[in-house]
Amino acid sequence: MNLPDDLHVLLPAYNEGPVIADVIHTLREAGIVHIVVVNDGSDDETGQVARQAGAIVVDHLVNRGAGAAVQTGIELARQENWSYLALMDADGQHVAEDLAKLMANLKEQEADLVIGSRFLASQKGMPRDRKFYNGIANFLTNLLTKKNYSDSQSGLRLLNRKAIEHLDLQVDGFGFCSEMVVLAERAGLKISETPTSVIYTKYSTSKGQDFHVGVRTAFNFLWNTLFK
Amino acid sequence: MEIRLFQILIPAIGLLFVVTQIARQAKGKVTLRETILVAVFWIAVSAVAIFPDRISNFFAELLGIKDNVNAVLFLGIVTVLYFQFLLYNRYKGQQRQLTKLTRMIALRDAETEESKAS
Repeated sequence: MNLPDDLHVLLPAYNEGPVIADVIHTLREAGIVHIVVVNDGSDDETGQVARQAGAIVVDHLVNRGAGAAVQTGIELARQENWSYLALMDADGQHVAEDLAKLMANLKEQEADLVIGSRFLASQKGMPRDRKFYNGIANFLTNLLTKKNYSDSQSGLRLLNRKAIEHLDLQVDGFGFCSEMVVLAERAGLKISETPTSVIYTKYSTSKGQDFHVGVRTAFNFLWNTLFK
Repeated sequence: MEIRLFQILIPAIGLLFVVTQIARQAKGKVTLRETILVAVFWIAVSAVAIFPDRISNFFAELLGIKDNVNAVLFLGIVTVLYFQFLLYNRYKGQQRQLTKLTRMIALRDAETEESKAS
């Protein structure tokens, strides 16, 4: 893959012990050198497994949510002066090779933030409930943004140095996906989307959005937006 | 006007709270804003205790509610919701503090590629 040496891939992980080693090995096979796992207070052996698999592990002592884990990764990137930070879900649903597409798009479009969109590519195999929840979250996010985005909820993203410097997420939970897009627009960052694939397994569909998580996410995001 | 026990008891309790709050503020334990909030709350409660009918009728007329008991219930619900809002806001603030603390410790103790290699 044609990727710069200073690309760091961030995996925010909570109780991903059964799959985290495979995800790290897949990234390594794809030529990714720098892999960072933010172990978000997992109850299982996520941190230990990720360390053994060769990733740099940053431990949250208690579980704070996906958004909090991502912001910790962003602050680490700022602290360590990294040039590029890619965000990926730690459940193995993303395809490592798509990182090259994100990087190519970032360069071509001169973007600061590239979102890997599941809805610009074939949605074959995507469960109906996922389409439904993502559709609602997308609609709500687009109400708050200037541009319309096809997949504001995607966990696959690429940030350049400018984005790393400007993004300060306040939402601890899944609402960070929407918040990042809103904050990036406010900061004048250029946002782009590129089609990416997604692998839905029994494991990955058991995690992430469902009705209850969706309602809570929307409520927390709106609360943070209105009463920050 | 017949004076009932609660008309003495509630203002007395209120006065106690306000005086102790002023003493706490003098010691720097609470802010002026908190003292004013406590004072306003207890003055309002005491006023309702001393003049229950007059105040409830005033609010019933003001809100366009025929029955003064309904007006009292309505204001009670609004007050409870307001305090619920304040409480949730404080909870969210504490959650943010907890996240900050967790992140600070995580970044302080973070591994680096150099430390991992050595």
